[in-house]
Amino acid sequence: MNELNDIPKNNPFKVPEKYFEEVNRKILSGTAGFDSGIQKIGIIRKLRPYLAVAASVALLVVLSYTAIHFFARSENRSEFPGITLSEYTDNYINDIDIISLEENAAETGLFREETGFNKNDIMDYLVLDNIDIYDIYEHF
Amino acid sequence: MSYPYNQFHFITLNLCKLFSSKDKTGLQVGKTNPDSDIFDLLKEDLNKGFRLVVERYSSKLYWHIRRLVILHEDADDALQNTFINAWRNISEFRSESSIYTWLYAIATNEALALINKRKRNSAVSLDDLGTYFANSQEGSSWFDGNEAQKKLQNAILQLPEKQRIVFNLKYFDEMPYEEMSGVLNTSVGALKASYHHAVKKIEDFIRNG
Repeated sequence: MNELNDIPKNNPFKVPEKYFEEVNRKILSGTAGFDSGIQKIGIIRKLRPYLAVAASVALLVVLSYTAIHFFARSENRSEFPGITLSEYTDNYINDIDIISLEENAAETGLFREETGFNKNDIMDYLVLDNIDIYDIYEHF
Repeated sequence: MSYPYNQFHFITLNLCKLFSSKDKTGLQVGKTNPDSDIFDLLKEDLNKGFRLVVERYSSKLYWHIRRLVILHEDADDALQNTFINAWRNISEFRSESSIYTWLYAIATNEALALINKRKRNSAVSLDDLGTYFANSQEGSSWFDGNEAQKKLQNAILQLPEKQRIVFNLKYFDEMPYEEMSGVLNTSVGALKASYHHAVKKIEDFIRNG
């Protein structure tokens, strides 16, 4: 490497005066100095972890509410919707009791042929004349 | 495992990943990285970090390109293209090497692309400074070397392009072979052999030229 050792290693190439200041400015104006979009992306990237946590928490809340609502609803399926207890006793119990009454009357012979009364006529009389069902029970 | 446990485990795992500081800009830092200050700034503010990259490396990269393409106007174009490419890909950079070697690789590719383009557009063989200066508008005004230095540059222009790069990086930039391996994606052994042969060719050219 003797021939190379004899040659000065200093840079033989030249550049215009203040070239590097100028080229740095040109490069930055077309890249990092160009603000459109980069700053917005930076803010979104900074907020992304917090948004992800908020979304996860919201999802947990929704799932919990759905689960609670689903199980709570299934427990109420046996109730009769839209009817009060007094309405139930007034309408349903009376009907059931009329059926029970008919069965009991059949057993006691109330509707035997020799009486001459049709059992339907008797039932109609009892219902239309507002006979107290409990009084009839007591009688039979 | 019951269903509620799986859900909880999945959500917790992903929350931990999101909170990790690994990837805000896509950059990861090695333990002994000489550019760790640049990486810290890039994570904090991408624009400020890139400004630091340009200020720190524009001069080095310019001279590396200039020694390959010879002409100032060509080196100016290639340098700007280098940083534009770097800016476009900065968020995907993974620093197993350093940003320095990564930039050198981009700059080398830009210089080679420009040389090949010039070869396609010129009928004249570009194997000495005189031809370069004769074929450009800037002429020899931006070359200030003595005759020995002119002879050296002409000798270097005789080398194949990749060997020219190896010689310049080792002789002028004094880049370690390990870093050069990252720039040129070539083994250290091959680089050492290439440099050794380049020196022999240059000495023969200077001796006999």
